[in-house]
Amino acid sequence: MLENYFPILLFILVGLGFGCAPILLGRIVAPHKPDSEKLSPFECGFEPFEDARMKFDVRYYLIAIIFIIFDLEIAFLFPWASIFQEIVNTPAVKLFGFIEMFVFIGILVLGYIYAWAKGALDWE
Amino acid sequence: MIEFKTLLFYLFSAVLVLAALRVITARNPVHAVLFLVLAFFNAAGLWMLLQAEFLAITLVMVYVGAVMVLFLFVVMMLDINVERLRQGFWSYLPLGALIALLMVGEMSLVLGSGYFGAEAFPGSQVTADASNTKELARVMFTDYFFPFELASIILLVAVIVAVMLTLRKRPGNKAMHSSEQIAVQRNDRIRMVKMAVEVDAPAAKGE
Amino acid sequence: MDELLAPVKALLGPAFPLVWTMVKIVGILAPLMLCVAYLTFWERKVIGWMQVRIGPNRVGPWGLLQPIADGIKLFLKEIVFPTKADKPLFVIAPIMALAPALAVWAVVPFSDGWVLANIDAGVLFVLAIGSVGVYGVIIAGWASNSKYPFLGAMRAAAQMVSYEVSMGLALITVLMVSNSLNLTAIVNGQAEGRFADMGLSVFSWNWLPLLPMFVVYLISGVAETNRAPFDVVEGESEIVAGHMVEYSGMAFALFFLAEYANMILVAAMTSLFFLGGWLSPVGFIPDGFHWFALKMSAILFFFLWIRATFPRYRYDQVMRLGWKVFVPLTLVWILVVGVWMMSPLTIWN
Repeated sequence: MLENYFPILLFILVGLGFGCAPILLGRIVAPHKPDSEKLSPFECGFEPFEDARMKFDVRYYLIAIIFIIFDLEIAFLFPWASIFQEIVNTPAVKLFGFIEMFVFIGILVLGYIYAWAKGALDWE
Repeated sequence: MIEFKTLLFYLFSAVLVLAALRVITARNPVHAVLFLVLAFFNAAGLWMLLQAEFLAITLVMVYVGAVMVLFLFVVMMLDINVERLRQGFWSYLPLGALIALLMVGEMSLVLGSGYFGAEAFPGSQVTADASNTKELARVMFTDYFFPFELASIILLVAVIVAVMLTLRKRPGNKAMHSSEQIAVQRNDRIRMVKMAVEVDAPAAKGE
Repeated sequence: MDELLAPVKALLGPAFPLVWTMVKIVGILAPLMLCVAYLTFWERKVIGWMQVRIGPNRVGPWGLLQPIADGIKLFLKEIVFPTKADKPLFVIAPIMALAPALAVWAVVPFSDGWVLANIDAGVLFVLAIGSVGVYGVIIAGWASNSKYPFLGAMRAAAQMVSYEVSMGLALITVLMVSNSLNLTAIVNGQAEGRFADMGLSVFSWNWLPLLPMFVVYLISGVAETNRAPFDVVEGESEIVAGHMVEYSGMAFALFFLAEYANMILVAAMTSLFFLGGWLSPVGFIPDGFHWFALKMSAILFFFLWIRATFPRYRYDQVMRLGWKVFVPLTLVWILVVGVWMMSPLTIWN
């Protein structure tokens, strides 16, 4: 099994290298004449008033939390989906395997409905 | 191949430990979060060396792809003042060190015991070609189905708590609702008023 | 093949697997980069024709050398590091955007058996590495320390994670009917089933029984790669170019490479999951890479077409589509497929 992952490790390293090389080369080949105007942040022609890293709407944070919940749900669904054919073809666990997952999804859908009803998914 | 595996193990472990150290020593919280991402990647590499294919990839998917994105949002949003956080470091140190020592002691008791130690678990019974994910699924959805359903309850609680804690309706919101805009009737917007006819007075002279 | 390689094997000794894998990686990356270069050219040409313009036609015959000229130009441009930027992260961001976009290609099967790493959990790997790409955007926005990039990064991150959910849920139905996480097995599974037995293999590909999921996956793919009409992340008229505002020269080019590599990747994934990958729709032309390439090209053309056709979505509309339309749709379809497979009417056996 691990032999299969060796090319992947190598591919990730090559990908990183492939990202670094153009920047390094660009730094060497391209001109480098900085001046204070060029290096100032882009701001439609005037000086920035404040730090750009401002506080932003809490909704982004909420979306990220709901995303984690769904990501976990997907992580649980993946193994189940990959053996669903087996479940269907085994009469002993057919109904059990089906209902089990739909109880799981059903409970999470409750949370989803709650978030929807409360307006957490609205973007205003 | 065995030597190469060992080499990889030391490489991943070394980077993991270094990254974890930088998480607690980095001055900038965003840097700390990114070092934590690096640590997770190396942990995934270690799990992969243990042939835990599904767990390793899920670690990347859930922790790196989801949880750390949330962390990044939080540290970017909070405007943490690092200087103020560092005040009183020495006065808190004894208490912190005590708690840390306690936790290390407890963990070593648990991990060294006969229940959870490395000897307590036999090596993997699964053959090399068997699908890791499917093996896991067969166990998870039969023997461990109750904890599995419990997990969904925990996730449900997490959604509700997150919505309750963070959702605030802000006044003065100028959001548009297209359905309301389309459904608008003539009478909602204009009011017909009956009034007597006014005759314009002749304009003043000299204009 | 093995006989031809034998002298090389003997020469390199234990280093042979490393060198041979590197050769394969280059064999994937080099054509990919060529595709990226000519996809940008093709995009400009196609959109030009759709808008009754000519498109680039100055450099080389029919403008064919245009992407090369663009590359050289970007190469010779200064990489500006803004004073207020966080230098290390500013450099890392484009690399973080590009590396995942390339690394996923390690598990993509190009034809039966033509795959670099035939791992068992292929789908999971694609989803996991795909979700790492969001870091490039967030870090770029934060490291630039400038308002537009920051706003763009926040938008991008929320949009990308939202559509990852619908992509993941859409893939669940694919897994349910394929009984495997391996990409090669998923494609080969599409050649079997009730319709394939009747000689109509086109209808046994996943696109028909999973039609809503096919649509969800394709549209989510467009949104995930921040392409028009979901390109609120870059929205020139609103936030200039989002997270890429402060980037120039090769650093900017890397973001561009990543975006187009991701586009090709989404096209490849869609054709593997839903359009039967390298399977042939007609009996008299054999299966093979040519079909895979043809299907990918068709999907890429679709991406360019909708870019030329549709106006940009508003951000709240983008988020509503992801969370309030796609998520319920996928959840219902998982139920439908589940019941369908349990019923005697199942077409997957």
